Amino acid sequence: MDAVEYLDLLLKSLLLAGVYAAMAVGMTVIYGVMKIVNLAHAGFLMLGAYFALEMFQRFHIDPILGSVLALPVFFLFGMATHWLLVRWLPKSDTPTLASLLLMFGFWLVLQNIAYLVWGNEDQSILTPLTLSSVQIGQISIPKVNLVVFAAAVFCMAILQIVFHRSWFGRSMRALIQNPYAAQIVGVDDQKTARLTFGLGTAFAGFAGGLLGMLFSFSPDFGRPFLLRSFVIIVLGGLESVSGVALGAILLAILETFGINVPLPVYWHGWSFHYLPPSYQQVIPFALLVVVLLILPKGLSSLFSRKWKAA
Amino acid sequence: MESRMKRPSGVVGWLKIILPWLLLAVLLLLPKTNPSDNLIRLLFITAVWTTTSLGWNLLGGMAGQVSFGFAVFFGLGAYTTALLMHAGHSPYFGFIGGAAVAMLASFLIGLPTFRLRGPYFVIATIGVTEAVRVIMNNLDVTGGSSGYRITEDQPFSQNEHYYSAMAAVALAVLVSTVIANSKFGLALRAIKQDEDAAADLGVNPYTTKLWVHAVAAGLTGIAGGIYARRAAFFYPGDVFAFQTGISILLMPVIGGIGTVWGPVLGGVIFGMVEEQISVKFPNLHLLIYGSLLIAIILLEPDGLLGLLRRLFRLFPTQQAKTKLAGDPG
Repeated sequence: MDAVEYLDLLLKSLLLAGVYAAMAVGMTVIYGVMKIVNLAHAGFLMLGAYFALEMFQRFHIDPILGSVLALPVFFLFGMATHWLLVRWLPKSDTPTLASLLLMFGFWLVLQNIAYLVWGNEDQSILTPLTLSSVQIGQISIPKVNLVVFAAAVFCMAILQIVFHRSWFGRSMRALIQNPYAAQIVGVDDQKTARLTFGLGTAFAGFAGGLLGMLFSFSPDFGRPFLLRSFVIIVLGGLESVSGVALGAILLAILETFGINVPLPVYWHGWSFHYLPPSYQQVIPFALLVVVLLILPKGLSSLFSRKWKAA
Repeated sequence: MESRMKRPSGVVGWLKIILPWLLLAVLLLLPKTNPSDNLIRLLFITAVWTTTSLGWNLLGGMAGQVSFGFAVFFGLGAYTTALLMHAGHSPYFGFIGGAAVAMLASFLIGLPTFRLRGPYFVIATIGVTEAVRVIMNNLDVTGGSSGYRITEDQPFSQNEHYYSAMAAVALAVLVSTVIANSKFGLALRAIKQDEDAAADLGVNPYTTKLWVHAVAAGLTGIAGGIYARRAAFFYPGDVFAFQTGISILLMPVIGGIGTVWGPVLGGVIFGMVEEQISVKFPNLHLLIYGSLLIAIILLEPDGLLGLLRRLFRLFPTQQAKTKLAGDPG
C-alpha cells in the first residue's frame, strides 16, 4: 500500500462520513429533546430509501432531488407519529422501558408494511451517476459519492442555521440543556417535541434516500445503520449536533480502513492479514464497547478535559 | 412486602397456591396418557420459550433494563451444549456449560454498559447479536454459517426432551419466585423505579444489574441448550437471529412484565400461537407483533395479567372490599 491508496481511502471515508452524519443527526435531536432512543429510526431510513426509489421510478425524479423531497414528507410523517403515539409516553430524564418498546413496535410495523408493499428482494437505485467517476490524479471517486456528500453537507448546514438562528432551534437547544428552566422561560415543550420529532424523522428519510443511492436495500435495510447511528451519537456525546460530525468521521474512517488495510497479527511471528469484509459489521459494535470503556461522555469530552487542564 | 408473610385467605388466595402445583402435576403426568407427538412437541417448544421469557423478565421486568440481545445467550447455550456433547459429555453437563458460557457473555456486555446511566445498555444489546452472528458465521470450529449437527448415541426419546424442558421451566419459575421475594428482588424493583434513590438506600445498581443479567442469561442459555439438543441441527442465522431476540422480549411484555406468572402466560400464549401465526399469516407476523407491542404499551402496560387483574377488580372479593372501605380517602 502506498500513500496514494491511503489518501484514496481517507477521501472515501470522509465522503461516507457526510451521509453518516445526516443519518445520525435525526436521532441526536430526538434523544436530546425527548430522551427517547428512537428505534423506529431504522424504519424511517428504510422508508426514505424506498421513497427515493419510487420517486425515481414513477416520476423520473433524480434520487438526490427525491431525497430532498423526502424532507418535508417525512417531516409531516414524523409529526403525525408523534401526535399519534409518542406524545402519550410518560416524560422521563432517561429512556424508559415504555418508550423503547413503543418505538421498537413501530419499527416492526413499518418493516412489515414495507415487506407487503415492496417484497423482500434487494433493490437499488441506478442512475447515470452511479457508474461514472471523477479522476483526480491517480485517485478516482464515484460521482454518486460526491453528489451524496454535497447534499448531506448542504442540508446539515441548513440544519445548523435553523438550530442557531430560529426560535424553534433555540427552544430545542433550551430543552436539551435544561427542560425545566426552558419551560419556565416559556418554551412550549409539547410543540417543540412534536416539531423535533418531525425534524428527526425528516433527516432519517433524507439520509435513507442518500444511503439507498450508495447501497442496495430491502425492508430490513435499517438495522445495521441503526447501530451505526447509535455509535455515532455516543461518540458525539449523545446530545450534541457538532459531536455527530466528529463521530461520523471516526466511524467512517475505521470502517473503511478496517477492511481495506492489512492488520498486523501475531501468530508464530508477525504477519499482515486482511479482515474479512463480513467483519465490517462488527466494527461499529467493537468501537461502541471501546468508547464506552474509555470515553463514556463522547469524543468532545476529550477536548473539554484538555481545555480544563489548560 | 406484606404479601410474603401473609397466610392464604379466600378462594383466590388458595387458588394462587394450588394452581401452579396442579399445573405441574398435569404436565408431569401428561406423557403417561399417550398424547400425540405433536402436542408433546408443542409443549416442549412452549416450555423452552417460557424459560427464556422468564429469564428476560428478571432483567427487563424486575430491573427495568430492556435488552434486545437475548438471542446471543440462546445461541451460545445451543453451541456450548452441542460442542460439549460432541466432546463426549452428558447433555445435562452441556446445559450447565451453556448456562456458564451465557453468563460469562452477559458480563462482557454488562461490564462496559451498566456502569453508565442512559441508553448505553440497550444500544449495546442491539449490536451484540449482529456482531456475534458474524463471528459465528466465520468460525470454523462450529461449521461456520452452514451450521452444526448434534449426534447422539442413544435413541431419540421424546419424553426425555419433554421432561428436561419442563425441568428448565420449573427452575426458571423457582428462581423468579425466590428472587421476587428476596431482598435482591426488592433491590431490582428499587432500581427500576429510581436508580438514584436505590443507590442512596445502599443498593449498588452496577453489581445488582450485572448479577441479574447473569442469572437471566444463564436461564436463557439452558433453554438454548435444550432447544439445540432436540433440534439436533442449527445454524447462526437461526439461533443468533435478531428475530429470536424479539420473540424472547415479546413474551413477557404480552403476559405482563415484572411478575412471575406474566412471562409464563406470555410464553404459553406465544408458544401456542406463534406457529399458527407464522403458518396462516406469514407476511403479517411482524405487523401483528409490532401492533401488539404498541397497543400493550399505550393501553395496558402490565400486559394480559394486568388486564386480568383489572377484570377481577370489577368483581372485588370480600377481603378487597373491606380493604377498600378501610382505605382513607
